[in-house]
Amino acid sequence: MSHRSRVLLLAACALLAAADAAARTLEDIIASKRIVVGVNPNLPPLGLYDAKNQIDGFDVAIARKIADALGVSLDIVPVGPSDRIPFLLADKIDVAAGGMTRTADRLRVIDFTHPVNTEVMGILTTADKPYRQLNQLDDPSVRLVQVRGTTPVKFIKDKLPKAQVLLLDNYPDAVRAIAQGRADALIDVLDFVLVYTKNYSTKWRVVDAPIEVGYDCLGIKKGNTALTQRLNKEIAVLHTNGLIAASWLKWFGHPMLYDPTAQAPVAVSQ
Amino acid sequence: MPLQFRPILEQWPYLLGGAWLSLEMAALAFACGMLIGLVCAALLQLGPPYLRRLITAYVTFATNTPQLVQIYFLFFGLPEVGVILPPLAAALVGMTFNAGAYLCEILRAGMLSVRSAELEAADVLGFSRIQVLRYVMIPHVMKVMFPSLSNQFIIMTLGTSMASVFGVEELTGRTMSLGAETYLSVEAFIVAAGLYLTISLVATFMLIVYGRVIYRIKARML
Repeated sequence: MSHRSRVLLLAACALLAAADAAARTLEDIIASKRIVVGVNPNLPPLGLYDAKNQIDGFDVAIARKIADALGVSLDIVPVGPSDRIPFLLADKIDVAAGGMTRTADRLRVIDFTHPVNTEVMGILTTADKPYRQLNQLDDPSVRLVQVRGTTPVKFIKDKLPKAQVLLLDNYPDAVRAIAQGRADALIDVLDFVLVYTKNYSTKWRVVDAPIEVGYDCLGIKKGNTALTQRLNKEIAVLHTNGLIAASWLKWFGHPMLYDPTAQAPVAVSQ
Repeated sequence: MPLQFRPILEQWPYLLGGAWLSLEMAALAFACGMLIGLVCAALLQLGPPYLRRLITAYVTFATNTPQLVQIYFLFFGLPEVGVILPPLAAALVGMTFNAGAYLCEILRAGMLSVRSAELEAADVLGFSRIQVLRYVMIPHVMKVMFPSLSNQFIIMTLGTSMASVFGVEELTGRTMSLGAETYLSVEAFIVAAGLYLTISLVATFMLIVYGRVIYRIKARML
């Protein structure tokens, strides 16, 4: 996000916050017997429309568990990446899910619960390749395949200028290119890519050291402390009893790549 | 929001490199396609029946399936049998395969327009089949079909854009990358459209000059 966009976002959010009355507190939510959660339905499998055109996915599964624990019904509101924070600040939703990665910019505007899941930018390769560290890929003999227009393309340009890069139009083709031996590795948010590896008998390998780990939390209106604390408690329970891990496995088809309750790793990109 | 061309125009050499690659690809695929087309058209006229059937099957297949599908097969299909073509090679082979069939049809039409009196004259003079082709058919076909061949070249030049799907960094590929990097896709594609137009007009002009000098064809650009 550019500096200009960041300023605009903060200004818009501040304006909305100033114009807004107090958020629905935990007591209000329990008294009304409903909690309204914003989910991005265009971010499968975190959020997606099912065959009945209802929003479903990992985020909805977690929201459902939390609503059950609070003893309230769940209302799902579709939100997009650009409107989920304004929705929260305008009290259209009580909680924002939908791939809400915790960032310093967002922390200035809203509060976050403890992490629900992680998003790992890492290296996908095959078992026969020797790569263990990011810098091993900065070599003219390394053939990376990336999806055109995605963030890692710029990252590779900056950090791995010597590597060859093949740009394709979509993830299934990029994964196929590695399976067929046309490319050696792919760098991306692997949680969303690994699902495509199941189509091939290739022995896949994810390089242990992640490049970057993003922590996806639930967004709460700033100062709504009682709600944040209660949700933290419920999230901890869901981690402890394995429900988050099980939901992740169900929706993503593989275990979460980095434990959201573990200490943050040292990013290899730094 | 006003259009911002400056960040795109700053990358002018990058886009120009892509345009040059597009032109090179079209020229190479056209040259190879002409060779295939000429051989196929000649065999359709003068060859044995089994070869005619084979060529008819090739032309039918190549002209009735999308070029994108043909290149997709070369790029992702062939590795399944152990043949990995680099992106540029896959695109060039696909374009040549497709162009060969279309050019075969254009050249065949030209050959059919050769007057029977000319062919009879060649026969009386004792020309072999190769000599008939070399001294009677090809000069006639090139003159009569030059405008159609020129059109085919322009179509192929613009058709190079589909190579971007397979990672070839020609003009469209570079435009998409630049658009994604700067978030100025509309501006990037407007500039690319201008470059495609320039390439096409320059190529058309050169073909007209070539046609006028070599075949004395009087054509105008507009």
